[in-house]
Amino acid sequence: MVTTYLRRAYSSFAAHVFDIPPRLLALLLLSFLITLPLTGLNPYVISVMTSANILAIFGASWDLLVGRTGQMSLGHALFFGIGAYSSALLFEFYGLPLWITIPLAVVIGAACGLLIGFPCLRTKGPYLALVSMAFPLILSSIFYFFDDIFKGEFGIRGLPSFFPSLATKDRMLGNYYLTLLLLFISAVILYKIANSHTGIVFVSILDDELASKASGINVTKYKLMAFTISGLFASLAGAAYAHILGVANPPLLSLTWSFVPVIVTFLGGIGTIYGPIIGAYIYYLLDRYFLTIIIEIPYELIYIRLLVFTLIVAIIVIKWPRGIGRFVTDKLEDLQEGREIEEIMAEREKKKKKKQK
Amino acid sequence: MVDVGAIIINGAISGAVFSLLALGFTLIYGVSGVVNLAHGVFFMLGAYMFSSFSSLLGEEVEGILVVSPLALLLSVILAAITVAIVAAIVYKLAIGPVIEDEVAVLVVTVSIAIVFQQIILLLFTPAFHPVPSLLRGYTIFWGLTLTYQRVMSFVVSLVLFAILWIFIAKTKIGGAMRAVSQDREVAMLMGVNTERLYMLTMAISGAFAAIAGIFIASTTTGVANAFMWLEPLALSFSIVILGGLGSIKGTIVGGFIIGYSEIIVTTIYPEIGAIVPAVPFGIMLLVLTIRPKGLFGKRIEMEE
Repeated sequence: MVTTYLRRAYSSFAAHVFDIPPRLLALLLLSFLITLPLTGLNPYVISVMTSANILAIFGASWDLLVGRTGQMSLGHALFFGIGAYSSALLFEFYGLPLWITIPLAVVIGAACGLLIGFPCLRTKGPYLALVSMAFPLILSSIFYFFDDIFKGEFGIRGLPSFFPSLATKDRMLGNYYLTLLLLFISAVILYKIANSHTGIVFVSILDDELASKASGINVTKYKLMAFTISGLFASLAGAAYAHILGVANPPLLSLTWSFVPVIVTFLGGIGTIYGPIIGAYIYYLLDRYFLTIIIEIPYELIYIRLLVFTLIVAIIVIKWPRGIGRFVTDKLEDLQEGREIEEIMAEREKKKKKKQK
Repeated sequence: MVDVGAIIINGAISGAVFSLLALGFTLIYGVSGVVNLAHGVFFMLGAYMFSSFSSLLGEEVEGILVVSPLALLLSVILAAITVAIVAAIVYKLAIGPVIEDEVAVLVVTVSIAIVFQQIILLLFTPAFHPVPSLLRGYTIFWGLTLTYQRVMSFVVSLVLFAILWIFIAKTKIGGAMRAVSQDREVAMLMGVNTERLYMLTMAISGAFAAIAGIFIASTTTGVANAFMWLEPLALSFSIVILGGLGSIKGTIVGGFIIGYSEIIVTTIYPEIGAIVPAVPFGIMLLVLTIRPKGLFGKRIEMEE
């Protein structure tokens, strides 16, 4: 009895996961990430991987808005900062525990996404990009101005961590697995949205807004929806990051955090949702592993690290403007198509020969 | 009592310099459609180059750098030319290959900006780098102390606007620029070498930003540092969006609007120093809610 159920579950799992290459790859990546801490890596690597998980959520939320819907946002740090700050403020003023503040922060982030969506509806293209870039800068100067509430440049410190009772090393492991779980859930939801009916409408807006309007699609509604969903996941990433760092400060709203998801998405592949997730790991691999451990840069030349890193990013973007992941999948598709064409040609040849006989 | 005269004069001076800064940004967008986020870098490089050239050309007398006015003028010109060349090289190597892809251009230009920031950090260390002042002395006008260099920056900015205007309206290359901004393909068919034209536009844009950088660094703070590209970038895009992307008239008007509003806000409410960077953005958002393409931008076209 049990064995039949198990077998049936296994065959269903195999049909849904093993037979579809992208899903198999995702499963392999996931199992690799789950087993990674078991290999006895040092805590530093684990904490870097935790940041990579958060960055992956953040990048995927950016990709849904920009890569899928074409609403060019260069101010995604806004949602990241809002997530971090709202969770921190709720803790600071109401003393709520973090399992209440983070969901509330996520709701606030989604609401802000909706709110930001309204002015962004009126602009598009480069205007939208530059306008959206202004929002986090405005917000951070407001935070500086009202420094009795937002604590100015030092930010709100002393936020509770996820597992306060554990020892430091176990806490790092806990953070890692928790962020991995969050990443898995967010990635599945985002991927499902991107490939659902709604996701197709998003792509139609990206491809041709006028045509989708003419086909009777309520473009406004779908654009706002994209902003809301994107804001939701970005603020989740922000809130989680603030609680891992233990502080919500203005650097979370800086231009760096607006551009990191862009860079990550470009490293992975734009418009794919899984691209930024791969890109986040490439990013940290490049930044923290390749440039600090493999190539040891002396301390006096500390500025070279970011220099080399940005140069690599620039070269990658110039060489493969749609991202490395996109380049690889495109190549694979080309190969597939080429093989199919070859098969068709071979069949035709056979038919010709038969006729000749 | 608010000093109206001070507001009028200070606003005019900072407005002119802001417009000078933003003109390059709008020019390269108008001609090639590139949103150049490395624009602030040219501003920063201008200040650094000027400072380096003037210390090369000047002599040290009793530990103090003395630079003759002629050498200062020469170093301004040399700095502008160097930055123009750098801008053209940046276009050729980095922006040109991805010019078709809007998002890739943004990422590449930001990467370039950070690369230059790190190069400056390596060469000049993160400490503030002194920038010599352009002219000594001051005059009193309407009961207001005006240094000569601020007056000069205002006058030079206006002269440069006029030169740019004539260049675009009257010369053959200016005509090519207008043609390309209207329709790239047709202009190419008419025999315009767009690649070279974009490089030239980028060089002009870089030179303008560099001169604005020299003016702002030497008249207001007197120092330069490696992170000073961000603020002018934010300023120039709020000006440009306010005026309408690609519109030169709009940019000049927008520059003055932003310049005046900053001066008005800081004179009336001197205590809100921290929020000043938000003022241009606030005005920009206000204008955009009424006119989504800026004051002088083209109306929204429904197709690309």
